[in-house]
Amino acid sequence: MNETDRRTFMKQSAGAMAAVALLPELGLARPVRLLEPMTVGVIGAGRQGRAILGELQKMEGVAIGAICDVDERRLDAGVRRSQGAEGFADYRAMLDKRADVKAVVIATPTHLHRDIALAALAAGRHVYCETPLAHTVEDCQAIARAARGSSGVFHSGLQGRSNPVYKLAWTFFRSEAVRDPVAMRAQSNRKNSWRTPAPDPARDREFNWRLDPAVSLGLAGEQGTQQFDVFHWYLGAYPVRAHGGGSIRLHADGREVHDTIHCGLDFESGVHLHYEATLASTYGGEYEVLHGTNASMWLAWTHGWMFKESDAPTQGWEVYANRQRFHNDQGITLIAEATKLAAQGKLQEGIGLPNSPLYYALGDFLRSVSEGAPVVCGADEGARASIVGILANRAVVTGGMVEIDPALLRGG
Amino acid sequence: MGTRFEVVLWGGDTPRLRACAEAALERVAELDRRYSRFRPDSVLSFLNDHAGERAVGVDGDTFDLFAACARVWRESGGAFDPTVGPLMRAWGFHGEPGDTAAAAACVGMDGVLLDQAGRTVRFTRAGVSLDLGGIAKGQALDEAAAIVREAGVVCGLLHGGTSTVVAIGAPPGEPGWVVEVRGSPYRVAVRDRAMSVSEPSGRVVERDGRRLGHVLDPRSGAPVDGASLACVVGESAMETDAWSTALLVLGARPQRMPGQLTTLLPQQGGAWSVEGPDERLFWRSDAAERAGQESP
Repeated sequence: MNETDRRTFMKQSAGAMAAVALLPELGLARPVRLLEPMTVGVIGAGRQGRAILGELQKMEGVAIGAICDVDERRLDAGVRRSQGAEGFADYRAMLDKRADVKAVVIATPTHLHRDIALAALAAGRHVYCETPLAHTVEDCQAIARAARGSSGVFHSGLQGRSNPVYKLAWTFFRSEAVRDPVAMRAQSNRKNSWRTPAPDPARDREFNWRLDPAVSLGLAGEQGTQQFDVFHWYLGAYPVRAHGGGSIRLHADGREVHDTIHCGLDFESGVHLHYEATLASTYGGEYEVLHGTNASMWLAWTHGWMFKESDAPTQGWEVYANRQRFHNDQGITLIAEATKLAAQGKLQEGIGLPNSPLYYALGDFLRSVSEGAPVVCGADEGARASIVGILANRAVVTGGMVEIDPALLRGG
Repeated sequence: MGTRFEVVLWGGDTPRLRACAEAALERVAELDRRYSRFRPDSVLSFLNDHAGERAVGVDGDTFDLFAACARVWRESGGAFDPTVGPLMRAWGFHGEPGDTAAAAACVGMDGVLLDQAGRTVRFTRAGVSLDLGGIAKGQALDEAAAIVREAGVVCGLLHGGTSTVVAIGAPPGEPGWVVEVRGSPYRVAVRDRAMSVSEPSGRVVERDGRRLGHVLDPRSGAPVDGASLACVVGESAMETDAWSTALLVLGARPQRMPGQLTTLLPQQGGAWSVEGPDERLFWRSDAAERAGQESP
């Protein structure tokens, strides 16, 4: 694009927003290939455990040595899907017997994480733990303390921090491209009951722990924790207050846990995050939006876009940008390494992630273990985000306001 | 899989039935993510990208799926072939046409080496590319139905794109779930069975002034006028899905076809043939109230 073209473009887009698709840099989204083979154990073979097994199998140098689940059917299915894996009903037996399993991934119900994480750390294993780390503030802090006292790697599964799209967006957020945060919002919309058919009605409570108010963190904790952390990471700050409410809009089946919630998180700077989540509508899916004075970013896990204000300074990369019709606006597509890709005729390739966000989070963990790469998301980050999720859920459940004491987030 | 899946379950506990249906559909979505050739993060895309360079380890379910592909390919004499993708593209069914002779040289399951002991897949011929469109839908329905059955549901119907169906039990008071085979005069009462129907519909391309349907014979590398419709009933939707595709190419039931499968195929002069152990489940809906026919 020459100077005249660029001026024309900016003039045409004045008064409207320009959409910019954030594409992952090739280097950020590189496939996982471990230099040394590693044997991994997966504890919990339910829905998330299955997804984890699927991602681990795509990685070179990773062998799934052991799988653990208290449910025989899930365990059998997991072992069947994993060449050479040994099945265990008890994680302690797995830790005792399989010394070759250097790293474990914990994907059990949230309220069971603490005992497993502490046992794995005590046994000298590297640990990847799904988030929220635990269902109580005390358990989160206990896990963080144990991780600090361990020489192994502890990686909290906050996937945004490993997501190549989010990493690229973060570089823009930290530059002048977005500038000062104005407002933030996020949502997680899906349509399902959150119920799991238990093999035996007597085990219904065990299988449907997300609907058990005694242990469930509700939508704010179970879904929100991942999404809140994106804002924690970008802002470098945690909220000081949570407020919210919820109701049952669709699944009036005797449950107490809300199927639709809203909550707000206030940050000390005055910026506010508005969050909505429901199990009654899929509209819009899951995303986070950050509004800045120069641009806004819309992050949707596998894709991301930036909407420039018409008075924002022109960036150098716009010279190489690819024009694109985006909704009602004439937008430009941002492509990292655009010159190189354009020369290869591959400008359109790479829109969206080549792998799931989970793949990159697991990959970061395993690189830290095998190559000593810095831990992208440690126990402290995981505990802080989980505590915010726990307190946000408390605000939703009570329909009131909950102060978030910064001392809680400093650990203990 | 680019199609709509639906689940109908009957019973007394609605929230539990809904949860069962959600789990079943979630499994379908999971398998779609795994076997879609359109998704860059699928296992299938990974294999298509790397199995030409080295033996790629796969999970047990995926290996079994490929083993089933190889079995039906052998039994059908190559009429069912999940490596036919390059040929489809060359004929212009998926975009711009290309060199059909070169594409035909890439086709054949004998270019896919399945190592049972190591549970690996390797392409032994250049240009091989797998497309599980003719079988993955059936496999997904089998797995979805297994989830529903394991949860204790005894009455339900699952379908993918209305072309493959799995029936669990039968509606109360009925002999089976009655499915109409559109394009034929037949209806089928399916009970604890799977059923697939294939037709040469879809995209048509023109070559040398001829309009060609989307059925390609992987053996000859050219479009074929096989059967106008093929319906297969059996225990496994994976089998019925793959075999209905094969029969569309073959036009007639081959000798090596597994005996437990029942087929409905058009014959010359507007006649139809039903053959197999579940023959009694089929009846002509144009016959006066199934007169003279045994109840299914």
